[in-house]
This record gives sequence, C-alpha cells and structure tokens, in this order.
Amino acid sequence: MHVIEAARLSKSYGRTRAVDGLSFEVRAGVVTGFLGPNGSGKSTTMRMIMGLDRPNAGDVTLDGRRYHDLRWPLREVGALLEAKAVHPGRSARNHLLSLAQTNTIPKERVDEVLELVGLTAVAGRKVGKFSLGMSQRLGIASALLGDPGVLLFDEPINGLDPEGILWVRNLLKSLAGEGRTIFVSSHLMSEMSLTATDLVVIGRGKLIADTTVDDFIRSNTVATVLVRSPEAGRLADVLSSIGASVTSGEGGSLLVTKVDSARIGEAAHAAGIALHELSPQQASLEEVFMELTSDSVDFHGHARVGVAS
Amino acid sequence: MTVATTLPPIERGRAGLREETLSEWTKLRSVRSTWIALAVVVVAGIGLSALVTNIEAGRWAGLGVVDRAQFDPVRFSQTGEFISQFVVGVLGALIVTSEYATGSIRTTLATIPRRTTVLAAKGIVIAAVIFVVAELTAFASFFVSQAVLTAHGGKALPSGSSIVAQLKSPTIPVASITSPGAARAVFLCGVYLVLLTIIALGIGFILRHTAGAISLYVGLLLVLPLIIQILPSSISNSIERYLPSNLGLAMIVVTTRKTDFAGVLMSPWAAAGTLALYAAVIVVIGGWVLVRRDA
Repeated sequence: MHVIEAARLSKSYGRTRAVDGLSFEVRAGVVTGFLGPNGSGKSTTMRMIMGLDRPNAGDVTLDGRRYHDLRWPLREVGALLEAKAVHPGRSARNHLLSLAQTNTIPKERVDEVLELVGLTAVAGRKVGKFSLGMSQRLGIASALLGDPGVLLFDEPINGLDPEGILWVRNLLKSLAGEGRTIFVSSHLMSEMSLTATDLVVIGRGKLIADTTVDDFIRSNTVATVLVRSPEAGRLADVLSSIGASVTSGEGGSLLVTKVDSARIGEAAHAAGIALHELSPQQASLEEVFMELTSDSVDFHGHARVGVAS
Repeated sequence: MTVATTLPPIERGRAGLREETLSEWTKLRSVRSTWIALAVVVVAGIGLSALVTNIEAGRWAGLGVVDRAQFDPVRFSQTGEFISQFVVGVLGALIVTSEYATGSIRTTLATIPRRTTVLAAKGIVIAAVIFVVAELTAFASFFVSQAVLTAHGGKALPSGSSIVAQLKSPTIPVASITSPGAARAVFLCGVYLVLLTIIALGIGFILRHTAGAISLYVGLLLVLPLIIQILPSSISNSIERYLPSNLGLAMIVVTTRKTDFAGVLMSPWAAAGTLALYAAVIVVIGGWVLVRRDA
C-alpha cells in the first residue's frame, strides 16, 4: 500500500519550473528521504501535498484522497514545513492549542506533545525568543499533535545541535516503526543514509531516482581499489590482462576498477609482485549525490582552490 | 518512544467553522498587540471624546449663532472614534497579514483546508470582539461626555425641542440617550468601527502585506477625501457622500439637528448599509484571492 502518491506533478512560478512532471510513491512503515539540492523543488512539492500550492498539472493524493478532502487533516497528516512560521508573540502552548482546536484535539494532547519534544519548561514562553532548534522542536510537536498516520518534515534537522539531530533520527525511525508514513526532505545525502530506507531524489524539479538507499548506493557507486606496489608498472600490465581498468593515483598508487580486491591480490601473488597496500575505496554518498545532481543545480559556486600556477 | 496516548478518535463531522472560530479566538487573545489595540480603542474613545467635549463646552459662551447651531453634544461624545478607526483597521489587517509575514498562514490553511472557512472564522471573531469593545466604548463615551457638559453648567433641552431652542438656549445643550437619534448615533458609531475592521481584514487577504494593507486602509480614510476635494465641486459634491469617512460621519451626526452636513450626507441607516456593502465586496474579493492564489 502506497500512502503518498504523486503523479506527473508540475508547478511553475512565472517562468520558473519548480517541479516538472514529478511522479513518485511513498510507502508506510519506513522513513522515505526526499533528497535534492537547495532550490530543487522539495518544498514546493511538500506544499502541493498539503494542498497549499495548486499544481499546474498532475495530482498528489494521500491514500487516494486529495488533501482538500480530508475531514480532520491534522489527525491524518502532520507537517513541519517552516520552523519559524509561528507568531513570535504567542507562547508555544497557545500556538499548539490554537492548532489543536481546529481539529478538536483535546488540550491534554498539547501538554503531551510539549513533553515529547522536551519543551514543557518553556511552554509559556514567547516563540519569538526561541532558538532555531527550539522552533524545530515546536514544529515537530505541532506535526505530532493529531497523532497522524502521515508525517511530512521539511529539513527537520536544520539548526539542531548534534544531540537534537540524533533525537530527530530516532524519532523518525520509531514513528516509521509504528507503521506511519514518514516523508523527510533534506539536502544532505549523508543524513538520509543514516535515517531513510527509501529515497526520492530530485534535481531541478525532476525525478532522478525513486529507490531504496541501499540500491541507490549500490547502483551509483563504482567499487574502486587502491593498490600500492614497488612494481607498479608491471602490476598494471598484469591487472589489465585480467580485465581490470587501471589508472594512476596519488604517490605512485594505482586505482583499479572492474575487479575486486581478492582477485587483485591473487593476480599479484601469481605474478610474484609484492603489494604494500590493497584497500577498497568507498565512494562517499555525498559524492554520488553531487555527481548525480551536478547537472541540476541552478547555481554553482566557482571557488578556485589550490590551483598551482 | 510512544507518540500517542490520549487522543480519542472522532468519527463524525469535519474540521469546520466552529473549530476554526475557536482557534482564531485563541490566536487573537494570545498576543499582546490585541490587548494593547483594544485598550487604545477604549482609552482614546472615552478620553479623547471627553477632552474634546470639554474644550467645546468651554467655548460655548463665546459662540455665535452658526456655531451654536452646529454644537452637537452627541457627535462630540464620539470624537475618539477618529483614533479608534485606525486602531481597529490595523488590528483587522494584522490578524491576516501577520500570518502571511511569519508563514503561519500555511499552517492555518493546512489545518482547515476549506479556505473560505478560515476567512469566515477570522471575520466572526474580530467582528464580535470589536463590536463588544466599540459599543461599550461608544456608550461610555456618550455618558462621560454628557457628564462633562453638565459639569460646565449644561442642561438638557426639552425633548423634541427644535434647533431654534438650542440657538436661544443660554446654557450648553446636553443630550440624553433618549434624545432623538442619540441612541442610534452612538450605536452606529460602534457599527462603523466593526465595518471598518472587516474592510481592513478583507484588504489584508487581498494584499497579504502589513505595510501595503495598512497604507491602503489609511489612504481610503484620509487621502481619498483630500483627492476628492481637489476635483471640481460639481463632481466632488456627488461623490463625497460615498466616501467611507463621510459614511461614518453620516452614521453619527444626529441629522434632526440641521447642521452644516445636512443634505450632503446620507441618512444614517443608508450610510451604514452602503458601508456594509463596501465591506462585503472587499471581503468577497479577499476570499477570491485567498482561494485562487497559492498560500
């Protein structure tokens, strides 16, 4: 059963295409990461799921229903869209109370979610005096208020300290473990690799991948092995003869692809070549993500780093 | 970590006007600016009215025939409304534009996806609050101001007495709430503020920006009359009565006393109806923008 379903979703603002023919599915019971560079259309997509922005084309449904048709929306979908989207002069408790009243959620639930996110002590304080981290916690509290089956979080770890980040990670996983549908956007691949099971990756409003984190890593990383040997030249010939692709790396090392480290070791042994190092290289997820989305980033920084003249 | 323990399910109904009205009341009462604004309405309403009445009463002895004819103890008692009309306008605009400024309008519209319900709930709450405060203030101002006039030696004219009696009266005329038109004028003064609040609310939904909404609102009340005055009198005479500020005046002037405004202004109820029509049109446009535009 897929819970969130987007079909050929498109949205333009003036001449800018924020989301372009985006289709994906989000299932219940796991954390689904929604990944893309800044400005790639993640927030726009979130707003369309919530019925806040009207798509120019396509459709997005929750269990087959449009957001607009939900009878008690807070009890079905909880969302953290912008942490700072609260009147600064209102207390956290009154903010949550005003939300609870819209969906006939009892007052006790307000105190319960305040406790859950650790804001009980500052519940009566004006939200304008909150740090970004506290605001994020308040946003998460408001998302949890209606005990919803679907939760949308737009960049929930922004502004959190390491302890807070860990707390969010565990919260997301435990919410998913309860069978809820969790859709979390982020521009940090590394974060998603720790939290998410499924991935929806977009760039410039277009779908790049709709997959699992494991598959995403497997299909997008090339296993490279770094080899050092006093007889690098002869070793390169030997490895080429068994079908490996060899390039030279730093400090006379060899970077070998297409064969794994076991076969490299065996081939070297058979040819009587000593090896000083034989180490599989893990391409970082961040690199894979950058590589994949590099064509779809609107604004590149042009930093000149260490160019020898 | 358990997330839910005390949330009883609901089977029936949907998140609608009743729920959103409760929520809007919570939002309105939980920010200090609301209470400051309402305090200004009360203090300016009663205080400024009493002050102006006091000044006018002090001038009575030296007034000529024309000025004595224009001496209106009811209207003087509502002078504070000049300040209040801006305060309620700011409040009416802010309950919309502050949500756009912070982005919390998106939270509001996500909790109540039927957007016209949000508009209706905001309108009901702010109109009810302003109605109560403005009426209490208007009647309190009336009685305080008449007390000020009495303190200056003023005496109630016999009921049904003509303007001639006022001209010839050696003492300052004091109105009673049962004087012809007095209760209506005082009541409509409160209604004027309620209608202006709704107009400001509608402008808030149309423009979404605090500065823009308040500028337009103040412009309608203060700048528009100045522009109309520049026009040739043949044109301005026929337009003037439709200006919001003049509609407000028409609702408050006790026209049974022939003052300088007679003939230019509409009758009090016609003026109230016209202003209500303005409010309705602006709210409908605001609702249309709210439903059509992305949040």
